Amino acid sequence: MKRIFALLIFLIFAVPSAFAAIDTIAVDVGISVFKTMPIGVVPFAEPKGRISWSEEKPHEIVTRDANLSGRFDVIASDKFNLALFSRNRAKHFITGKAVVLSDGRVQLDCYLYVSQTKDLLLGETYKVYQKDMRRAVHDFFDKVVKRLWGDRGVASTKLAYVSKIEGVKQVVVADYDGFHRSQITRDTSISMMPVWMKGNKGLVYVNFKTRRPRLYFKTFGGVENPLFTHLDQTYSPAVNPKTGELLFSSTVDGKTDLYIGNMQTGKARKFAYLKSNQTSPAWSPYATEVLFTSDRGGGPQIFVMGKDGSDMRRVTFMGRYNERASWSPSGDRIAYTSMDNGLMNIYTCALDGSDITQLTSNAGNNEHPTWSPDGKLIAFSSNRTGSYQIYIMRADGSNVTRITKGGENTSPTWSWFYDEINP
Amino acid sequence: MKKMKMLVLTASFACLALVACSNNPPPETEPAAEAPAAEETATAAQPGPNADSLAAEQARLEAERLEAERARLEALINQIMSEDVYFDFDRSELTEKARELLAQVGELLLKEQRFTITIEGHTDARGTEDYNFTLGAKRAMKVKEFLIAYGVSSDRMESVSYGKENPKVEGTTEEAYSQNRRANFRVNIK
Repeated sequence: MKRIFALLIFLIFAVPSAFAAIDTIAVDVGISVFKTMPIGVVPFAEPKGRISWSEEKPHEIVTRDANLSGRFDVIASDKFNLALFSRNRAKHFITGKAVVLSDGRVQLDCYLYVSQTKDLLLGETYKVYQKDMRRAVHDFFDKVVKRLWGDRGVASTKLAYVSKIEGVKQVVVADYDGFHRSQITRDTSISMMPVWMKGNKGLVYVNFKTRRPRLYFKTFGGVENPLFTHLDQTYSPAVNPKTGELLFSSTVDGKTDLYIGNMQTGKARKFAYLKSNQTSPAWSPYATEVLFTSDRGGGPQIFVMGKDGSDMRRVTFMGRYNERASWSPSGDRIAYTSMDNGLMNIYTCALDGSDITQLTSNAGNNEHPTWSPDGKLIAFSSNRTGSYQIYIMRADGSNVTRITKGGENTSPTWSWFYDEINP
Repeated sequence: MKKMKMLVLTASFACLALVACSNNPPPETEPAAEAPAAEETATAAQPGPNADSLAAEQARLEAERLEAERARLEALINQIMSEDVYFDFDRSELTEKARELLAQVGELLLKEQRFTITIEGHTDARGTEDYNFTLGAKRAMKVKEFLIAYGVSSDRMESVSYGKENPKVEGTTEEAYSQNRRANFRVNIK
């Protein structure tokens, strides 16, 4: 009898909370689930006092690449130290040698060794001016990733983003670590929303020179070309990773629809005939499906459909504002931005909207996530320090690293892999 | 704000151009008809200072009239361009206040048939660039629909969304946000 009474009491308290639990979905916040590989890094040997380094030294660039990569934990040591490497399970270490050549260039010999045996796994030589040294080290580092992980690394990839230059938003491109920034647009009107053309040949972006948002493309070193001029107010470009076709939004008289177009022929057609407004399209890695945002529930929510516009499903159900989804390169997860109490934060979830993980929190606005082509990292923009800057974090939200310095930098988009890696 | 000033300037230049062109449209033919008569009397009597002063006087009156017309149009254009319509967060419905204001704009547009307008929709800084373009477009469209219902012909109106790219007030306070969730007008003369 006592037991039944206890059960009743239990039920009275348990049942309402069970109902309450239905409309809250459990969310993980920034738990590091990454498996990283410890790796030793030893400063490169150099003739005493002969090299005056203009920026970071080679082993410092290696260390930054390794820490950013989401694949390694650096065990730093100023010389080879087997006890240290072994204690930290660093089975490999990177070091090298630098000498100045008669023409002013630096010869960099970069090595990857096995800690225990000191067997040489990988050796590369670069003869470069100091300004190009960072890229040489990136190239070597990607070879290390290939050797130890069997994957392509992202140290030689780039980011396109929007930088406010003399008060006007311009599209710029920089190496993935924020160095070597170069300005792509030089306009008196706003440029924004850059995405990479196939093969990293150039960028597609939006400009306001006609006083209306319109898509343009520009190959690197080439001229700017307007796109789909027969359509009004075009924006939100997404390049098909297989065909290079462009999916984008066009707004006519207050109604926004998705269109698909060929940048070479300039032809475009409506992608889906829906009553709601649609924007922020994103392709799946094999271009078989499309993520997009629809306002048919009032606020923005993320949906997915086949590339022929069939089989539409809603993906996000938690919260009132879920926008700008992008598909992870491995195809298993979606990154998106959600607004809560007026602040934007980055989340990932499984393709059916389950298994939600919050990647950013308590740090201002965090927006515009973009996957690294190897799927290990996410770049985004945040105003956590007051001004908007670009950051890189691991795909689980850990290890947030700022990569831009001054001014205001937003809307990063990661390049594709570069097929030819130039030292 | 700078852009606003520039718009006002372009609008007033447009006025000047209009006034210059409208020198001899139908309703204003009287001074033109008088002119030859004045010339006749001038040649019959003494050609000289008298006729000159008469013509000068007429030119002065005409210039004054044009100046008054220009000022009137400029005032109207400034009035329309200063009438911003405000919206609630993530909404595109017109508030009661917005309707009152739009009725005044509609009245002006019905009176001045030569005016054409561009309706610009804007959002506050919160949210994504992409969704804010669609939201700004919805706001501009609601304004356009209201004015069509008021009797303004749709081919005199064009709508465009600036999303969150053209805030009126910088800042991250609710005060700034509420000022930026708006639709405003650009005026041209046919």
